[in-house]
Amino acid sequence: MQPSSKPHVPSTLKRAATPRTILALSAVCACNPLPAAPPAGQLLSSQCFQCHGTNGQPVSGFEGIGGENANEMYKELLEMSLRKPEGIMDLQIRAYTPAQLRLIANYLSTLPKTSESDDD
Amino acid sequence: MNTNRRDFLTLAGFTSLSLALPRSLRANTTPPHVLVIGGGFGGATVAKYLKLWGGNIDVTLIDRDASHYACILSNLVVTGAIPMSRIQLGYGNLKTKRGVNIVQGEALSVDPASKEVTVKIGNDFFAYAFDKLVLSPGIDFINPAGNYNSDLTPHAWKAGTQTLLLKNQLAAMAKKQTFVMTIPKSPYRCPPGPYERACSVADYLKRKKSGAKIIVLDANASIQAEPINFGNAFTKTYKDVLTYIPNVAVTEVDSATKTIVTSQGTFKGAVLNVIPNQRAGQIVANAGLVNDPTGKWALVDPLSYASTLYPDIHILGDSQGTGQPKSGHMANSQAKVCADAIIRSFSGEAPDPSPVTSSACFSPITSKTASWLTASFQYDPVTKAMKRVEPSFAEAPRPTSDGMEQMFHWADNIFADSFS
Repeated sequence: MQPSSKPHVPSTLKRAATPRTILALSAVCACNPLPAAPPAGQLLSSQCFQCHGTNGQPVSGFEGIGGENANEMYKELLEMSLRKPEGIMDLQIRAYTPAQLRLIANYLSTLPKTSESDDD
Repeated sequence: MNTNRRDFLTLAGFTSLSLALPRSLRANTTPPHVLVIGGGFGGATVAKYLKLWGGNIDVTLIDRDASHYACILSNLVVTGAIPMSRIQLGYGNLKTKRGVNIVQGEALSVDPASKEVTVKIGNDFFAYAFDKLVLSPGIDFINPAGNYNSDLTPHAWKAGTQTLLLKNQLAAMAKKQTFVMTIPKSPYRCPPGPYERACSVADYLKRKKSGAKIIVLDANASIQAEPINFGNAFTKTYKDVLTYIPNVAVTEVDSATKTIVTSQGTFKGAVLNVIPNQRAGQIVANAGLVNDPTGKWALVDPLSYASTLYPDIHILGDSQGTGQPKSGHMANSQAKVCADAIIRSFSGEAPDPSPVTSSACFSPITSKTASWLTASFQYDPVTKAMKRVEPSFAEAPRPTSDGMEQMFHWADNIFADSFS
């Protein structure tokens, strides 16, 4: 079943001016560090952003979840995971362990409140 | 000018030395370069989050088209409920807001040894170098036997021109005519999608084409997602217009006469919507990364989505073979795990050992109601696989108008979370 056709590739290829080449020549003194290790809870929390918006700032409909009190958020998430499911959120939250919900609540509390629209 | 020349020579010497060293030994002046092939939900999201979280990383996103058309909501374009512009997603925000380099071109082949991808742009061929490569090309089709031609019998399973072809054919149907559709063998893109299409078309026929019928030919033994909601829709809501036949093996298709020969008889429709069986996108096959037992998908480590064959090549979304459902929401979810793992690897760190991924989606059942489906996955360190968390797996108790409203909010937010 696997396709066997190889694409035609000419023997003379042009070198694409990739950002690496350009920046290596131009930014010799930039001295930017390599990316730092991500903060705890960042990756887990980002799985909320498909519906609640990047960094918890939705563009439509659903609740903003950035900048809330961490303990209150944790309590709310835990309650949702334990009560009889009322909607899709109560199901989604059951994917996470209590320890993961704690990490999510802590990380979300460090993000800007929803009224602030800048998600950078 | 003389001093400039000397400086340039020094710089050139330094540069070639630095590029020859492994990343861990290289001076911090050269940002790592991640090349992303495919600008759907997986590719767009990984490019965005590498920039959002990674800081000093160069990211180039290559897609053959100038913008992406979402499959999400596309069945509503087929029935004319929403315009094509509603599902058109450009790359402008990724470029200006996130700093992603956007290139329109077609990736043809991958050389894992030299870490280069050959890309056709216009009539020219270019070699793009990468430190890490992410392939997120979506699906390709295994065409049925016979005189099959998707221009005549559109699949509309990649949104865009195909969506409009099917929309126009549906609109041109006369009263009392028949719409025939096929559902591919699992796994395929968007498990509830074909059943959602059957409902959307059935609803349209009931409202607009008196006496018209839809025949749904499923290659599988039963409804593959939301069996309660789609089952009720098929046997109650649409019982007068819809016939559902499971276990249908397609023998051949003649697109010119809109005829399909199957294990359960020959069918002919005014519209024939064949959705063929599916496999990983062609570039994944060209790169030699299709290595699962079925010969269709790419095996990856679900902690990073790195290929089991090459640690610097990652495969996301529909093309990967972890067994998680193939959907835009899931591709977005996996892309975040992949972006996080790539950023960690540039810092010399191992991936997060316990990622969670999820898929949520809303499906219109009638023109006024929608249902939903959700499934989430945790990494199982024993099997080294993503395992569905059973208490998180459910479908809506019933389709509702609230569900329809939530569907549009979900679409708005996942469009923005992936493409801006």
